[in-house]
Amino acid sequence: MYRIFGICLALLMVVPLSAQDGNDILKKLDRNLSPESFESYRKLINIEPNGRRKEFVLFTVKKGADKVAALFLSPDSEKGRSTLRLDENMWLYIPNVGKPIRVTSMQSVVGGVFNNADILRLDYAEEYFVEKTEDLETEWLLHTKAKTNSVAYDHLRIWVDKDRILPKKIECMTEAFMLIKTIHFKEVKDFGGGIVRPSVVETDSPLHEGYKSVMIFASIAGRELKDEVFTLTFMPNMETLRK
Amino acid sequence: MKYLTCFLLIGSLFIRPANAQEDYSFDLSEIEKKAFLFGGYLEARPVFSLLDRESRFYFLNYYGSEQKKSALEYNFKALLDLSYEKGIAKAQIRLNADLNHSHSDWSQDLDLYEGYLSLKPSLHFHMDFGKKRLKWGKGYAWNPVAFIDNPKNPFDPDLALEGFTVISADYIKSFSGELRTLTLTGILIPVFENANSQLGQHNTLNYGGKLYSLLFDTDIDLMFLAGPGISSRYGIDFSRNITSNIEIHGEGAYWSEYSKEIVDDEGVSDQKKGNGCSYLLGIRYLTKSNTTFFLEYYRNGRGYTQKEMDNYYRLIDSGYAMFLASGIEDELDLASSLTGFRTFSPAKNYLYLRILQKEPFNIVYFNPSLTSICNLGDGSFSLVPELLYAPVTDLELRARAMFLLGDRGTEFGEKQNKLRLELRIRYYF
Repeated sequence: MYRIFGICLALLMVVPLSAQDGNDILKKLDRNLSPESFESYRKLINIEPNGRRKEFVLFTVKKGADKVAALFLSPDSEKGRSTLRLDENMWLYIPNVGKPIRVTSMQSVVGGVFNNADILRLDYAEEYFVEKTEDLETEWLLHTKAKTNSVAYDHLRIWVDKDRILPKKIECMTEAFMLIKTIHFKEVKDFGGGIVRPSVVETDSPLHEGYKSVMIFASIAGRELKDEVFTLTFMPNMETLRK
Repeated sequence: MKYLTCFLLIGSLFIRPANAQEDYSFDLSEIEKKAFLFGGYLEARPVFSLLDRESRFYFLNYYGSEQKKSALEYNFKALLDLSYEKGIAKAQIRLNADLNHSHSDWSQDLDLYEGYLSLKPSLHFHMDFGKKRLKWGKGYAWNPVAFIDNPKNPFDPDLALEGFTVISADYIKSFSGELRTLTLTGILIPVFENANSQLGQHNTLNYGGKLYSLLFDTDIDLMFLAGPGISSRYGIDFSRNITSNIEIHGEGAYWSEYSKEIVDDEGVSDQKKGNGCSYLLGIRYLTKSNTTFFLEYYRNGRGYTQKEMDNYYRLIDSGYAMFLASGIEDELDLASSLTGFRTFSPAKNYLYLRILQKEPFNIVYFNPSLTSICNLGDGSFSLVPELLYAPVTDLELRARAMFLLGDRGTEFGEKQNKLRLELRIRYYF
């Protein structure tokens, strides 16, 4: 009797885990990567096969599910540029040009492997839903599909660390499941405020053999921001948000 | 040995040891906020031109000078941006210095392109006082709704230009729903002898406004400019991403009671008055192979008809013949003074096409392009192949050729150059 009860209890504990909804995992992963509203400093490094590098330093703010903006602090040729994303609307402000211009998510403001959608990323759960969840030994493998056709990649395959519910690797694919790029998440770091996440994100692409783009997070912290920060009119003034 | 050292130094700029790849350092001094910011660029731009000695604009520009088959000019530029921020206030200055050598002469210019004080008492409200660019419009090559801006060069649309002295105030409000953002901008433009003098009668005050909205994922602007001594003008523009790789945009402008200088059938200059409507439609399309196509159609309502252009060319012919016969320059002086015919896009209908290939053959920061502007009225066109490369951080090299193609009597066939070769070396600091 006790044995049957024990088996039933064990089943009750196991079933929710194995049947855990992939979309819930994706939402949890998003929150573990960053608070819903935050500010961060990060560096993007484009590395060529010969080792030559180009570095960009960005100040980024995000609010809610659909608003994100970034300001280029260096190099000098990009200083003062800012980018804004509201859902699938994206703009680039270049001080020399003097006005925000619309850009698309597949364009790249930094060259190399990163495109605009990589730099101004929204929550994964905002843009993708999970079609299938594979339960691997220490990871879940989420097979996701884009919610709309205006998203940069049609499919993502996300390997999720079960312990921390953080991504370990993401493969970005076209509608025909052709691999466009692979993102590797490394060096988990405690940023304070309960934010423990990978501090280095490496991206390579079979379309750019030998090239690599790396994103390094120096800081990430929760911050409350007004909606008016995420407007075209505010883009030239993003520097005023920095403390 | 000296050459070997030099070679190794240059080589080290391009090649780094492979183990440098794993150095992911992030010095926090890189993100330190500074109240005073300083930046800009230095530029050298030699230009070689092959002259068309039978063209009308060659006659007009070279009639009193040594006759040449080609011309070489050297242009140097320094653009300096300074800003200082304290509390709700921020002061910004943009200075432009040019040094040019052409026709065996050196010339220099130092201009305050922008200089203004911004006050931002809240995120909703923002005011600017001083000289600045307003940059209205969504078009890439042309902006018919840019009522308060100097016209940009469609072959170099991102070039920094001088602003106007204004007082402007923005009120910004965000919403949830289909209307995401609303920004109301009010502008006062005083006109004095030394400020904004091209915008109407001296010692008067012009006024304008713009209402921006992000509605149904579309940027929409409504704008106007009016005041004593200038024709009232009203405009609308829009821009929208259709998919993740297609953007469309457009502009429409209406000018009431504008006047333009023309040359009548007798070769006499006159003023033609009327209402004018200009518009632009454009698309930007990015292919899977990272080729971007920019296509714009521009209808210049205030532009010249082919007959008006023909009358102008006849004035030059007549003036040049008079100069050769008697040395009298009056008609050529008159032709030079009619600046409307000498603008970047004087005619009625244009098509702009730019094809940009991003980083072909996996050469990062290398962007070749081909640009063409066609005058649809006379079939003449320009063709500009261009190579843009940033071999090291903050250094940008641009090489371009400009072919001007068209029959006699057409816009591009009457330009003074047949071919123009240009190298631009720009260093950002």
